[in-house]
Amino acid sequence: MSTPEMDASAGSPGSSNPEYVTARVRARRGVLFDDDEYSKLVRMSPAEIARYMEESEYEQEINALGSRHSGVDLIEYALNRNLARHFNALLGFAEGQLYGLIARYLRKFDAWNIKTVFRGVYTDTDSEAVETDLIRAGEFDDALLNQLLEASTVEDVVTVLDGTMFGDGVEAAFEDFQETDTLVPLENAVDRAFYEQLLGNLPSGEAVALYREFLQAEIDFRNVRNALRLARSGADIDPGAYFIDGGRLFSASEMTTLVGNTDELITRIRESRYGKRLSEPLNELETADSLIDFERALEAVLLQYSRQLGNVHPLSICPVVAYILMKEREVTNIRAIARGREAGLSETAIEQELVIL
Amino acid sequence: MSLELATEASSVVLQSGAAGGAALGPAAASAIAVGLAALAAGYSQRGIGAAAVGALAEDESLFGKGLILTVLPETLIILALIVVVLIGL
Repeated sequence: MSTPEMDASAGSPGSSNPEYVTARVRARRGVLFDDDEYSKLVRMSPAEIARYMEESEYEQEINALGSRHSGVDLIEYALNRNLARHFNALLGFAEGQLYGLIARYLRKFDAWNIKTVFRGVYTDTDSEAVETDLIRAGEFDDALLNQLLEASTVEDVVTVLDGTMFGDGVEAAFEDFQETDTLVPLENAVDRAFYEQLLGNLPSGEAVALYREFLQAEIDFRNVRNALRLARSGADIDPGAYFIDGGRLFSASEMTTLVGNTDELITRIRESRYGKRLSEPLNELETADSLIDFERALEAVLLQYSRQLGNVHPLSICPVVAYILMKEREVTNIRAIARGREAGLSETAIEQELVIL
Repeated sequence: MSLELATEASSVVLQSGAAGGAALGPAAASAIAVGLAALAAGYSQRGIGAAAVGALAEDESLFGKGLILTVLPETLIILALIVVVLIGL
C-alpha cells in the first residue's frame, strides 16, 4: 500500500482524528473576518488595510514581509503566505484517511502553482515575480517548485512535471500547445488531472458520499461558469475543451450545444438539482443580465453548501473543506478590497465584488 | 481490551457455574456493570478529549470549558459505582 497522500483509502477510518481536526478548524473559522470587519476594511486605504491586518491573524506574515514590500503587494503576498501556513498546518495535524482527503483537496494549489508558472514562462516574467505569486500549500516540495521556477520554456516546465500526477495530461496537451500557441490546452489538462484524482478512488461511507456530491457540485458550477462565459464572449472556441469531467449536470457534447443557446442553458440549470438553490441568482441573471453577479452568487451557494455539509457531518472531511473554501474566500475578498481601493473604485463597487455569507 | 474483559467474564461464569451456585454472584455482576460503564466513559472521553485539546491548541482560554466537557462522561462511571454500593456490598 502506498503512502496516505497517494491513496486516500489507505488509512483506516479508525486511525484518523476528525474530533481534533474539526475543533481546530472551527476555532480557525471563528477568527475569519466577519461582515463588520469587511465594511471597515472597505473604507480603508491599502496602507491602513495592511496595518489592520497586522493586528489580526496576518501579523506574522505582515511582519515578515513588511520590510521588503509595501502597499497592495505586501497585502497580497501576506495573504498568500498566510493561506499556505494555515493549510500546511491542517496537514500537520490531520492523520489517516482524513489526511489523505485533505491532501487531495489541497493539490488545488499545486494546480494553481503550475498554471502560474506556465503563465509566467509564457509571458517571460522573471522567476522572482512568479515566485511571490506561488502558494506553497500543495504537495509539491520546495525543490520541485524551484525546478519549476528555473524552467525557462514551456517545454522545460512540462519536462519537470514528468512523474507528477499532472505529467501525463500536460505532456499530451503540449502538442496542442505547439499547434495553437495558447496556454488553454495546458491549463485545462492541469485542471482535469486535479479533478480526476480528487474524485477517483474515494473511500466509502455516508459522509464521503455527501462529500463526493459536493465535489460534483463544485465541478458542475465550474462548467456552468465556463459555459456562460463562453456564451457571453461569443468567441469561436470549442467549449468541450473547457469541460471538466466528473460533474452531473451535463456532458461535454451537451455543453457544446448549450453554449450556443443561453436560454436553454439557464432552463437546464433551473431544472437540475441545483435549481432550487440557484433560482434567485438565475432570475437576476435573466433580468439584469450581469454575469459577474451570477458568478458571485454561484460561489456563495457553494460556500453555503459546504458549510451546511460541515454541520450535517461534523466528524468528517466536510467541515475541513468548508473551512478551506471560507479561508480562500477571505483571501480573495481582502485582495479585492485592496486592489479596488488602489484602483479608486467606489465602496459600493467593491462591496459588489465581495462574497460574504 | 474488550476481548480480554469478555474472556475474563466468561471464566467467572464458568467457575461459579461449576461450583453449583448461581451462575454469577451479585458482586461479580456489579463488577461487570462497572467495568462496562468505565469502558463507555473512556470511549466517549476519547473523542471529547481530542476535540478539547484541539480547541485548546487554538485558544488557551478554553481550558476550563475543555476540562469540564472532557470529564462530563465521568458521571457514567460514578453512577455505576452506586450500583456496586447498592448490590455488591
